[in-house]
Amino acid sequence: MRPSFFHHLHPPAIPAAQARWRHTLGAGGTAVFLMLLLGVTGILEMFYYVPNPEEAALSVQTLTYHVPFGGFIRNLHYWSAQLLLIVSAVHLLRVIFTAAYKYPRRFNYLLGLGLFVLAVMLDFTGYILRWDQGICWPLTTGTNLIKTIPLIGGFLFRLAVGGGDACQTALTRFYTWHIFALTLPVVVLGVWHAFRVRRDGGIATPPARLFLDRTRIPRDELVRREAAAMFIVGILLILLSVFFPAPIAPAMIDKPSLNAETRAPWFFLWVQQMLKWGDPFIFGVLIPLGILTLLALIPYIFPQPADSDIGRWFPKSNRLAQVVVTVIAIFVIILTLINT
Amino acid sequence: MTNLSRRDFLKLARDGFLWLSGALALGGLLRFLDYEPNPAPKTEFDLGPADQYPLGSRTLLTDPPAVLLHTESGFSALSLVCTHLGCTVEQNADGFICPCHGSRFDADGNVTHRPADKPLHSLRVEITPQNTLRLRLD
Repeated sequence: MRPSFFHHLHPPAIPAAQARWRHTLGAGGTAVFLMLLLGVTGILEMFYYVPNPEEAALSVQTLTYHVPFGGFIRNLHYWSAQLLLIVSAVHLLRVIFTAAYKYPRRFNYLLGLGLFVLAVMLDFTGYILRWDQGICWPLTTGTNLIKTIPLIGGFLFRLAVGGGDACQTALTRFYTWHIFALTLPVVVLGVWHAFRVRRDGGIATPPARLFLDRTRIPRDELVRREAAAMFIVGILLILLSVFFPAPIAPAMIDKPSLNAETRAPWFFLWVQQMLKWGDPFIFGVLIPLGILTLLALIPYIFPQPADSDIGRWFPKSNRLAQVVVTVIAIFVIILTLINT
Repeated sequence: MTNLSRRDFLKLARDGFLWLSGALALGGLLRFLDYEPNPAPKTEFDLGPADQYPLGSRTLLTDPPAVLLHTESGFSALSLVCTHLGCTVEQNADGFICPCHGSRFDADGNVTHRPADKPLHSLRVEITPQNTLRLRLD
């Protein structure tokens, strides 16, 4: 068979061990598929979305209820975004639990962590673009949180929002952040991340001298597996989009009414729960940033995994990293459940 | 410095200029983004004729969110913006409760339950010569 463009995006053949589901969980590839889908559905939404405080919520209603397949497109965009966060988190856990972040891959680990942060910011800005009664309090608390940062808080707030009362003014900036200023960095970091996977010798496996399984699979087989993953994820997204529509609320009139949504979007429920404990700067800024810093430092200051352990599930030599990441995950999940 | 070769000097000058222009451009970008295009939020609100609010009344305002009190000592107002992270607090039997993070305040605005650690702001109410009320946020 003459290889197509899509085949040429892959190496001619790769070690079979690097492409096993039980090794990769297919998480990175699924994230790429979701990002492509988010790009396509996002462009389609832009044909109808009006980034203006008076009209934004109405244009979302038009898209959802009047445009043929508009609601479906919006639901696909919504569910792809939620799934992307989950798949990215699974990808991160896989990389830690298989000790895949060791040098020379530790720089790529940082690129991946950066992509994860950008994905969270894109999810939040996208959620705000609904500009209906469901978004005012999460937007107010989220942007007031920025103001609590000493010295640069006020500047960062103006950078994010453009000043004034966020519920009146943030739309223009959040639109630009969402459509371009966060998306473009995702494209750049994403391409760099994928390039570094190949440059660093593919998906992490033990070094060749320690590795007995020398079988390789051709790229035909790799493309076939990717197509299968896309098919399964695509079916799941279609089912979710048909049966569970994306949230929508009545348009915001001046200030939200008393029954407006006061709960954070699900991926920030854990932060909202911590904010109930006290000082917003400590619980809303320092602790989340501290967790992020700890994750970033794992390949640099934690005990290094042995070469023979790279690419094996739950090896002994990076136990500490596994335990730390598990504790963080359980902490976040429990806080989310308490606040549900 | 005496043994800095011509080549090294030029390299240093090139790198210096590159870093300097990068820093200047970054400074310019930050100033560009720091501008506030939106008018500052309103700080003065007209509440209409003072005799609309009889002695002993307690009126909930929505814009700005506040309670207007008329007591023996005159008019006063209590802001309903939570001092924790800025949601509007809701009135209940004992005072006020914030729906976002559960801060509680008594009827005078004092904190009775964390996470807020500052009382609700009291706002200035002025009587104009035309005998109308004006509320000031500053």
